[in-house]
Amino acid sequence: MRLNILIGGKAGQGINKVSAIIAQTLLSQGYFIFNYRDYPSIIRGGHNFNVLSISDKQISSHESKIDIIIALDENTKQVHKNNINKNTIIIDYKPFLNLGLNANIALAGALAKVLGIEKQILLTQINSNLKGKPYLKSSLEAATAGYNSQKQTNQLKKLNNKPTLLSGSKAISLGAINSNIDLYIAYPMTPATNALHELAKKQLEHNFMAFQAESEISVVNMALGSSFAGAKTMIGTSGGGFDLMTEGLSMQGISEIPLVVYLASRVGPGTGIPTYNMQGDLDIALRAGHGEFPRIVIAPGDPTETIEITNQAFYLSEKHKALTIILSDKHIAESEFSSTIKPQKPIKVKVNREVPGEKNTIIKATSYEHNQYGITTEDPTIAITNANKRLEKYKKIQQACTQFPMIKTHGKKNSKNLIIAWGSPKGAIVDAIKDLDYKFLQVIYMKPLSNQIKKEMQKANKIILIESNLTGQLGRIIREKTGISIKNRILKYDGRPFRSDELKKQLERELRK
Amino acid sequence: MNPPSLPGDPLRTTKKITWCPSCPDNMILESSQKAIESLIKQGHKRESFAMTCGVGCHGKIFDYLNISGLYGLHGRAIPLAIGIKLGNPNLNVIAFAGDGDTYSEGMAHFIHACRFNPDITLIVFDNQSFSLTTGQATPTSQLGFKTKSEPLGEFNQPLNPIHLALSANATFVARCNARDLDHTQQTIEAAIKHKGFSFVEVIQDCMVFNLETNGKDDRMYKIPKPQKLSRALKLARQFDYNQSETKIPLGIFYQTHRNTLYEEWPQLQNLKKKRISWKQLKR
Repeated sequence: MRLNILIGGKAGQGINKVSAIIAQTLLSQGYFIFNYRDYPSIIRGGHNFNVLSISDKQISSHESKIDIIIALDENTKQVHKNNINKNTIIIDYKPFLNLGLNANIALAGALAKVLGIEKQILLTQINSNLKGKPYLKSSLEAATAGYNSQKQTNQLKKLNNKPTLLSGSKAISLGAINSNIDLYIAYPMTPATNALHELAKKQLEHNFMAFQAESEISVVNMALGSSFAGAKTMIGTSGGGFDLMTEGLSMQGISEIPLVVYLASRVGPGTGIPTYNMQGDLDIALRAGHGEFPRIVIAPGDPTETIEITNQAFYLSEKHKALTIILSDKHIAESEFSSTIKPQKPIKVKVNREVPGEKNTIIKATSYEHNQYGITTEDPTIAITNANKRLEKYKKIQQACTQFPMIKTHGKKNSKNLIIAWGSPKGAIVDAIKDLDYKFLQVIYMKPLSNQIKKEMQKANKIILIESNLTGQLGRIIREKTGISIKNRILKYDGRPFRSDELKKQLERELRK
Repeated sequence: MNPPSLPGDPLRTTKKITWCPSCPDNMILESSQKAIESLIKQGHKRESFAMTCGVGCHGKIFDYLNISGLYGLHGRAIPLAIGIKLGNPNLNVIAFAGDGDTYSEGMAHFIHACRFNPDITLIVFDNQSFSLTTGQATPTSQLGFKTKSEPLGEFNQPLNPIHLALSANATFVARCNARDLDHTQQTIEAAIKHKGFSFVEVIQDCMVFNLETNGKDDRMYKIPKPQKLSRALKLARQFDYNQSETKIPLGIFYQTHRNTLYEEWPQLQNLKKKRISWKQLKR
């Protein structure tokens, strides 16, 4: 069973509220949901929509086919008319206009009835969402009015699953808290901003600090300062802010101050399409910063992996005095995924290095090439020794990363048809290949790259690269590492993430080729 | 690893000084070191000090002063210093920076430090030129200054950092003459003791570039004590960094108390109260 519900309207009309009430109600009934958020860079007006996909089995994507539309304005029906067929149920805002701000609650009520959720379950959910609010009573009345306005067309019985709902932004926050973060420093930039909001909200409860600096240049330099002083520090941004941080990454390379960077991509170049999705920043994550120095780049494919990887990033950075970049994107950061999979138990992150302020300790870290005391040198012998040390350090990092899942495989384990992808397309791929003869190799560690990739590729007859970008950036680094060039590529770069039903059709075509 | 010190001089490393002969940078090193020595005599530990530097002639002080620190990139002494203070509010953090460093590449940081009021001290070595890159004009260079990069002469009125800091709500604003070692030492000491962002501009000659602005000592005089803001702003306008006959006031123009960064954050207050760093914090 799978249904896709599109909830559309203007920014500020409460689309997220409708989807949140329904999502929580369905979760409580044991259903899996996936909530895709599509919104332009407009605060009031425009056209926003969510696609709430629901199923009795694990799902991690939405589809192009729409079963139910909740239209908070006329425009919604127009914009999505190509996705509507004769069976699509349209729940219109018009009968609820007189309810004012409670119209969205009434629409949630109407949807609950269509889905066949018992009225009392819905009311209990609204009660817990709006407890203590002065408008609770009128909201409950609105929900009832909405509920009574519709005919039931589905029968969603209670299931025994107990999935939890999580966005990638919340997952970053949880992973950081699991790692005992001391300091998160950021400058607001979509789609990394929600991680800042989330961490700022939790800072007092967990006794760490979230600080908004005046620019990304300041963010990265402050982070080098605080980490030098012994604070477990993470910074977060999107591509444009990451560009500004570049000088600090390079300084990390020579000063060897542990640093974790959360990079949530959106559509570039330039300001691009700020609230949409693209995997366009793998190249800069791998290479940004002048000079040659080691780094780690890890790309989660969903929120559960994000929790684990954030912890791995803190651990590896601290242990190896390294730069670790967590490479995510808008689709993971802002979509909501339900899952029954619990993240791995976090590894304890300990600061074992000398830091300033400790008894009889003088410690100097520097952006210049330096001797063992941190004092500037231009000596060619030391220059060679230190450069070689940076290379050796990368070898140690390569070894250390093998303790974590650097790749994962999904789908049919013995299939000769291999899909290779990384990051956010994971959900749509996993859902698309459920009934197809494919094995999916998910690359998680982008640097260092696993030696297993070549072995998996050699076992396959057909290899397809899937990425949400124009040029197939993972394909390039795989060719660099393995010498194998992947000819079959499914690349999507319209700013919209893959939808599993469309991707399935493309993959079926590939099988017939 | 602790760098070795000169015999009998724990605050000085063994690194050979490579500033130009007779460069006043040597004097700022001396005054800064004396200020720290004095604070150590008053009970501060040597390891409680941490410095940051940008890039420019001033930055070499990092290699000579034997205290902990972070030698940063050009223009970034201030965010590094704020970062260290966020990382451990119990440290005495001093940012050394140059005029090109602070007022050109790092200008945004300077203004925001005045706003944030972190409990750090900024000491700017102002010789009114980029000297380590062989003598281009900085924002405090005088009108008409002809350089290899601007052979037609500097067209822009110089920036007045004292006036700017006062306008941006800095809580401690001072100016010194590098050659006046005692006064510079006392001012730096007062700046480090100040709770909040303390800004000390040290006017100095460059012995190689921008010679025409050198030798201003005769025009300098001392303000006896901090002034009211309106008076401080007037005094700040007396010297506009151009060559002229006007007087150049030195001393603490203005000092006030406003909650510092750590006083605004309960998390940092907690570390300060317990006299611990994040590293020592048990959760």
